[in-house]
Amino acid sequence: MTRVVLRRLASSVIVMWGAASLIFLIIRLAPGGPALVLLGPDAQPEEVAELTTRLGLDRSLPEQYLAYLWDVSRLDFGDSYRLGQPAMEAVLTRLPASLELAAAAAVIAVCVGLVLGLIAGYRRGGVVDRVTSALTIGLQAFPTFWVGIMLILLFALVLRVLPSSGVGTPAHLVLPAVTLSLPFTAIVARLTRSSLVEEMDEPYATTARAKGLTDRQVLIGHALRNSLTPVLTVVALQLGALIGGAVVVENVFAWPGLGSLIVSAVNNRDYAVVQAATLTIAGIIVLLNLLADLATARLDPRIRLGAA
Amino acid sequence: MKAFVRTALAAVAVVATLSACTTTSGGTDPEGAGSIVVSGTYPIESIDPHSAEGGASGKDLIGQEIFSRLTRPDPQGKIIGDLATDWSADAATTSWTFTLRSGVNFSDGSALTADDVVASFRRLLGGDSPAASNFTGASIESSRPDQVVIKTAKPDAALPSKLVTFFILPKTVAQKDAGFFKAPVGSGPFTVKSFTPGETIVLAANDKYWGGKPKLETVTIRSIPEIAARLTALRTGEVDLVWGVPNDQLADLKADSNLKTEAVATNQVYTMWFNSSVPALKTAAIRNALWKAVDFNTIIKSLYPETGALADAPVAPTVFGYSPQQPKTYDPAAAKAELTAAGFDFGKPLRLQFANPEFRPFNQAVVSDLSKIGVKIDLLEKEQAVFIKDLIALDWDVNFQMLGTAGFDAASNLGRLYTCAAKRNGYCNPQLDELLATAGSTSDEGERKTAYAAASKIIWDDAVGMYPMTVQTAYVWNKRLQGFTLDAGGYPDFAKARVNRS
Repeated sequence: MTRVVLRRLASSVIVMWGAASLIFLIIRLAPGGPALVLLGPDAQPEEVAELTTRLGLDRSLPEQYLAYLWDVSRLDFGDSYRLGQPAMEAVLTRLPASLELAAAAAVIAVCVGLVLGLIAGYRRGGVVDRVTSALTIGLQAFPTFWVGIMLILLFALVLRVLPSSGVGTPAHLVLPAVTLSLPFTAIVARLTRSSLVEEMDEPYATTARAKGLTDRQVLIGHALRNSLTPVLTVVALQLGALIGGAVVVENVFAWPGLGSLIVSAVNNRDYAVVQAATLTIAGIIVLLNLLADLATARLDPRIRLGAA
Repeated sequence: MKAFVRTALAAVAVVATLSACTTTSGGTDPEGAGSIVVSGTYPIESIDPHSAEGGASGKDLIGQEIFSRLTRPDPQGKIIGDLATDWSADAATTSWTFTLRSGVNFSDGSALTADDVVASFRRLLGGDSPAASNFTGASIESSRPDQVVIKTAKPDAALPSKLVTFFILPKTVAQKDAGFFKAPVGSGPFTVKSFTPGETIVLAANDKYWGGKPKLETVTIRSIPEIAARLTALRTGEVDLVWGVPNDQLADLKADSNLKTEAVATNQVYTMWFNSSVPALKTAAIRNALWKAVDFNTIIKSLYPETGALADAPVAPTVFGYSPQQPKTYDPAAAKAELTAAGFDFGKPLRLQFANPEFRPFNQAVVSDLSKIGVKIDLLEKEQAVFIKDLIALDWDVNFQMLGTAGFDAASNLGRLYTCAAKRNGYCNPQLDELLATAGSTSDEGERKTAYAAASKIIWDDAVGMYPMTVQTAYVWNKRLQGFTLDAGGYPDFAKARVNRS
């Protein structure tokens, strides 16, 4: 197990270096630099040149890259051109809101998705299975933007039981978390169902039944644990996407998370914030993957033993 | 079935519990009596008025609430004194003397003196704010404790109007002073209670404000990017005031008996420059023919019946130097004939660039009209950074912008953007340069107006661009909110606002 951990840690470092390099390059390839955006359409060429120098962006790309890697290795991401504060400070201010929203959406999605998927898989071909299938297709098909607006209109405007946007109380979390969780719920439900169906058809399940176990005993005692392995991996991957990819939901509900910070930073060519935020998310995703791999190894002896 | 009922009841109980701990109403004064929540069209990302951080719009809104200026525009756009009680220029309009209001204190109780004005002006010039380019080569001195003199490098008759973006800070504030802006000290009607960049700023009444302590205890300015959510918050009472409301939303809001609606004339004009430096658009005949091919009147009536009006000048009627011109007549047949006669190449598409999805329907309608006479247009919706880069590089054929006139003086629009040296739209006319130089340098208001009228006529007749629409800003607010200023610049002022508790 120690070797599994060490190998995964080593590959994580390489992934982070790759992510840091890609982010650095991609944002600089985008046309229009920070000086132009900061000074606006009225900028004179000499003013743009002066600000570009002051921001250190007149140096060659390799020179900037080496300085950037050195700074990142010391966890120094520089200052935001736009916000006038350290980039990581801006990211850390927004991170709790993103984690809160992602965690709430994940809890809803996992609880509801698992229950729906298990029932559908266990009662294959039944009414619940068919309803669940239709529901999950619907949940994935409706655009998040539209669902969010509809929920706001219903619960904030018509029923007046929940706030329409913003942060501050647990009630503010309900609509954005539910909106964000819907497509994720569908994924978890469909995956759980198919995984369970597969496991219940495995020879070991047939053997267990031949030994006199009921379907419920086979499910609880054998198939359930095995069917959760792929679900766990997907949940871990999706969590990362929920943290950085909730920009639509953040915009609709004025939720001050990382997604909207990144979009604003990209639009304003705020290199430091883009780099700090995307690397933070990359770090979280790498960490979640690492944990998912370890949990999978713990759940599935084949992986554990195979690795050893 | 029982399980389902139990689950449903539990869900209802959870929602009820959560709704009990919500603060859904700005209308119920979460901060106590006299507090309001407002939401505008842009986030406030920085409150340092002398830096490039955070863009201009958010900072100009917040700047007027927490700092004072030498001059400011009144709600109709006329320049009046703020800290300055009067001002005068020498004959050459290169030396301006401002007399300061006496007895003004900062919110920490210290006196505001000419030294603070001098230090602030130097801080602005030493920073990277785009506003500093209004004062290139200028210097400032304090001749008396209650007087400052600003000397400009070139004659500048519009200096008082340019000073509306110059905010005064205590002289002790350093060029980079993040600590100060965590708890800023100003001499405006409000102080900063809390600030989360890009999200929320809470202002508290400044009891040392020279204009009298505001009646409102707090003003919370929230950023709600999505317009549907912003308007829902207004209708549920979570927000008391929203401005910049799109035309297609106004009918529903007008029907709400709790809300009031008013559209205010601004200093903005929809401006569609032609790039006169490209061969296809070099002649005024071709540019005028293209203008004639678009039925702007119908487009405006369809898309902006309440927040737009057909423009009749390159600058809005609220701006000093406005001079109405003869409207262009929509005549597609004549347009096509004139284009053909002028040798226009119908086979080569023109590139029309714009930067904001808000303007997509308008530009699509323009493209549609031009295509009816066979003019091909590549409609290019660009990201802001790319738009600015291409705009400055003149890498476009037709450029759409909603162009405002800062300080409500044509000097900062016509005088800045239409000279040969500006190289903003490929148009160069020495006669126009001369008129604009005269208008920008004489202190005689009558002479300035005459020069701007002549300049406007040249710009209009030569169709440097198409000027289809003057813009109005729609304000919608909860009826309990009274006395705030509906500003022509889109920056409402809450110094005199109050909440009606009845």
